[in-house]
Amino acid sequence: MSIQHPLSPIQTGAAVRLVDIRRAWGSAVALGGVSFTVAAGTFCVLLGPSGCGKTTCLRIVAGLDQATGGRVEIGGRDVTALPPAERGVAMVFQSYALFPHLSVAENIVFGLKARSVPAAERGRRLERAVEILGISALLQRRPGQLSGGQQQRVALGRAIVAEAPVCLMDEPLSNLDAQLRADMRREILALQRRLGITMLYVTHDQTEAMGMADQVILLRGGRIEQDAAPADLYATPATRFAASFVGTPPMNLFSLPGETAVVGVRPEDMRLGDAGLPASVIHAEYLGADTILSCDLAGQTCLARLPGRVRLEAGTPVLLDFDRNTLHRFDADTGTRLS
Amino acid sequence: MSTRALEIVATWVLAILWVSPLVYAVWTAFHPSAYATHFSLLAPWTLANFAHAWEAAPFARYFLNTTLLVGVVLVAQFALCTPAAFAFARMTFRGRDTVFALVLLQLMVAPDVLLVANYRTMARLGVVDTIFSIALPYLGSAFGIFLLRQTFRQVPQELDDAARLEGSSLLGRLWRVYVPLARPTYLAYGLVAVSYHWNNFLWPLVITNSVTTRPLTVGLSVFASTDQGIDWSIITAATLMTSGPLLLAFLLFQRQFVASFMRAGIR
Ligand SMILES: Nc1ncnc2c1ncn2[C@@H]1O[C@H](COP(=O)(O)OP(=O)(O)O)[C@@H](O)[C@H]1O
Ligand SMILES: [Mg+2]
Repeated sequence: MSIQHPLSPIQTGAAVRLVDIRRAWGSAVALGGVSFTVAAGTFCVLLGPSGCGKTTCLRIVAGLDQATGGRVEIGGRDVTALPPAERGVAMVFQSYALFPHLSVAENIVFGLKARSVPAAERGRRLERAVEILGISALLQRRPGQLSGGQQQRVALGRAIVAEAPVCLMDEPLSNLDAQLRADMRREILALQRRLGITMLYVTHDQTEAMGMADQVILLRGGRIEQDAAPADLYATPATRFAASFVGTPPMNLFSLPGETAVVGVRPEDMRLGDAGLPASVIHAEYLGADTILSCDLAGQTCLARLPGRVRLEAGTPVLLDFDRNTLHRFDADTGTRLS
Repeated sequence: MSTRALEIVATWVLAILWVSPLVYAVWTAFHPSAYATHFSLLAPWTLANFAHAWEAAPFARYFLNTTLLVGVVLVAQFALCTPAAFAFARMTFRGRDTVFALVLLQLMVAPDVLLVANYRTMARLGVVDTIFSIALPYLGSAFGIFLLRQTFRQVPQELDDAARLEGSSLLGRLWRVYVPLARPTYLAYGLVAVSYHWNNFLWPLVITNSVTTRPLTVGLSVFASTDQGIDWSIITAATLMTSGPLLLAFLLFQRQFVASFMRAGIR
């Protein structure tokens, strides 16, 4: 049931560009001026905590929701005023949005029928999607007779047969269990690579974003906090929020005596040394490959990710050390990065 | 314990009360008239009462009239309530809630109150004593609109969005997504509508006065009051005959109907 190794792309993606997109419901602002560009054929993740406007943003790109201001371009064409069906986008919804009264096969070709694609062509596309997703045994079933993972595949199938240059996904894995989630993550990525489509993928899970994206757009309160490749987002978070949102566990942020800025150190950059900041152990969580040590650093909790197994009783005094060049500094008031 | 026993007794009493006229009708209809008030296990069975009743009045024509009436009402109600319910459920327009409140208000008006007014309207339209005139006051149904609106509102927005994105027009979505998903409601509502209009009496009595338009209920009452004196055997045979199809349908599809009612949220 796994997707074959990436072949040369069969379709080509289209670039997506948002220019100063705004959306408000009455006085409640969901998006306060969002601009970004996703290059054709790349995998872009919209990341952010719940309620930050990810879904709203995606729905505006799809045309399911109308922006109160700004412009959407797909493949260089201004689509702001176009209805969803004419924008060249396919979408996988969070609930999968499968039609319960139709069989799997009918669900997959629903859109092709609505667009009056000839039956022979429908059959060809269905066959291809079924082969890619390995769901030939399910075609005659109803969505209600499928497991979550199978429903997910059918939803992907519907997006594949559309052969649209842009695919939108809204938290497609949030209803799956952890193991299946990891598998589907790889499959979706392989699918995007194989089809060569542009992917705009919404999630609140930063590990998903880090693992899949070519480009991560971190949203917070309807604004873009940072727009960068995963490695850059991790290495040089642009704001305090970006620093605290990315990484498992996230970056330690604390104040040091004699420093006006907030300083940040990734838990994996922390080590126990003979010199350093004096702290006391609160708890040691052994994870197999490493141990997460939480320490009390002058009233602030600080995490250290240490290799192997570290056995330390609560209350043990330790010295937390790190290299100066792993230190991140953020403005205490605005939260922006100080370089 | 005692409340449980009470419940069982009450259930039986109600069931017996409900079924006894039917039992009496069956008894009388299938036996010679001599046994109408005289119960004996040895009484001979007969179908003669049915044959008499069938010949004594144009029941075949009445059946046709009722079937036409119920068919017209049902088709028109589905066709009119569906778009109205969809508009109230999923479209935004100025005054929607006010208009919907007016529709609900109509639920509180008992149809019999409008008997005279409706008759005048029909007279003005010049359609008195037609099957169409029996149906006309019922073609739009506030209850149907309300019920379908509630059902349509429960259709997940994402299904609508998915269909829209896939290129379905407004009517396409209504026809391929909303209507199929509301099937239990259509079935349940259809059942209520059919049984109501099959049994409706007062309005058809007022608006019709000829064999070619009278539905079964009116035909039966005309037959029972004038033609037969009080031959209970023939009257009960006719009654069973006219209510038979509906009763049979209920018994056959009981399970589906109950399931539909549950899913449609009518209890
Ligand atoms: N239809 C709506 N009406 C009013 N407010 C809405 C509506 N949809 C979303 N919002 C608001 O917009 C903000 C962003 O929502 P959403 O885009 O769904 O966030 P996310 O997907 O990131 O969790 C939230 O504060 C939400 O309450
Ligand atoms: Mg969301």
